[in-house]
Amino acid sequence: MWTTNPGSGVALPPQWGWYVILYFFLGGMAGGLMSISAGLELVGDPRDRNALRIVQRLAFPLIIVCAVLLTIDLGTPTRFWHMVFKSERFPSLILKPWSPISLGVWILTIYGSVAFVEYFFPGRIQNRAWTILKGLAGFALAGYTGVLVAGTSNAAWHNARLMGALFLLSGMSTAYALLMLLLPATESTQRKLSDGDFWAVILEGLVLAVMLIGLGSLGRVFWTGWLFGVVFWIGVVGLGLVAPLARHWIAFDPRRAAVCTLAGGLLLRFVIVMSPQFPRVALWHL
Amino acid sequence: MAKGFYTDTTVCIGCKACQVACHQWNELPAADGGRTELSGNSYDNTERLSAVNWRHVKFIEQITEDRSSSGFLQGSRWLMMSDVCKHCVRAGCLEVCPTGAIIRTEFDTVFIQQDVCNGCRACVSACPFGVVDIGHDGKAHKCTLCYDRLQQGREPACAQACPTESIRFGEVTDLLQLAEQRVAQLKGENVDAYIYGKEEIVGGLNSFYLLVDKPEVYGLPSNPELPSHNVDTAFELSGLAAAAIAVTGLAAFRKGRMDEMARAEGND
Repeated sequence: MWTTNPGSGVALPPQWGWYVILYFFLGGMAGGLMSISAGLELVGDPRDRNALRIVQRLAFPLIIVCAVLLTIDLGTPTRFWHMVFKSERFPSLILKPWSPISLGVWILTIYGSVAFVEYFFPGRIQNRAWTILKGLAGFALAGYTGVLVAGTSNAAWHNARLMGALFLLSGMSTAYALLMLLLPATESTQRKLSDGDFWAVILEGLVLAVMLIGLGSLGRVFWTGWLFGVVFWIGVVGLGLVAPLARHWIAFDPRRAAVCTLAGGLLLRFVIVMSPQFPRVALWHL
Repeated sequence: MAKGFYTDTTVCIGCKACQVACHQWNELPAADGGRTELSGNSYDNTERLSAVNWRHVKFIEQITEDRSSSGFLQGSRWLMMSDVCKHCVRAGCLEVCPTGAIIRTEFDTVFIQQDVCNGCRACVSACPFGVVDIGHDGKAHKCTLCYDRLQQGREPACAQACPTESIRFGEVTDLLQLAEQRVAQLKGENVDAYIYGKEEIVGGLNSFYLLVDKPEVYGLPSNPELPSHNVDTAFELSGLAAAAIAVTGLAAFRKGRMDEMARAEGND
């Protein structure tokens, strides 16, 4: 029996474009930076203060950029505050903990508040509870974006239960890379970051492999095709995973490896976000 | 009591009166500024539910592959179905909406408050049926089940316009009884009919269908899941990843400090 196409009756793409891709990338990195800084505060030494200072200077501007990207991505940007307050019963707050996007707004708010204090009052609050709050806020920001992707009805995203873990680990590896790029090469912290980054990349690769195997044929959308296949294997796997690992065994400039990690992290978001939406959503869609 | 639609696809004649009535009552604009573009897909030129098409009549031609036989077209059939928002008992769009724009009304229908929606598009990717869409005004739109008409005690425009009573409006429990009777009648005529939208489909659909083929033939998912189905697991796995990266990171930082201390002691 030959049957005509009944037309769409399954989940539509959310029209996520570059604003969202960049947000996922920068948000993951901002989250990773905060968690690394918390780790250095917990078990580091005074020589790590330059790394801590970089995080204090970067986290708040990064989260502001993230907030701007999210706001301009809205269909009605002037109503961005409807995410936080009940518009009909202002100033009552709105939170749906079972909705990743609603929870994410509060994660952003908490992270933003922490980053604000760190930026304008650096070193003013110094106790273990604050450090742990910083670490958790960072992990939450880096990881929830992946859960947001998994909390959709698109089959490939919906079944990728490891997406939150993948985004979190990728956020950590890009944050390590950014810190290694910005710190002077002679800093003793470089060695610590390099070791931390090694494990972040190992875990990221592991989670990516398990996720794709678990997805089976649904996961093919991420790593096949002339465009997404090339970007995935060369960009995500080659630049994002193999290059930063290779520098531990062969002579490869750590700064170049860090740039590769950053490129791989951005391309990972591009492939994950765009491939299930293409061609209904154009590659250059904002 | 929950109000809803029962759509008997076996009596749909594809006249699109429901689409026209919906457009007229809700003052929906034409798509693409009224530009006519033929889809090449049977008599269906609106192709899907969208921000400006809250009803969509599907035309599904089933033609036998054997065109050489003298009985060509014998066994072929033409299925038609007027699709609409399902007003799910457990609605994915309502679940994820971060602004509270999507609410459940006193009629147990799912309604988007246009003065609250900010166009975040979470509902678009949350709906397993591809119903919700973003309009040119930057806000989410879908069938309201004619909320304004229900408040006046009137039936929705599409149901009123349907000339064959393929679209029935009423109390969902009454409609289900009606549908069960129709299924029994059709089975008596050797037609393999069934109801799509009982409790096993996201807790039940307040707008449900009588179908005579697999859901996929009508472009409907056979086993739709709520977007939140995997969210708890995804969060738990993220927590595990956070714990793993925290342990490896702290171990790396601690080792670095120890190495530095050992080096400093060696220099002394």
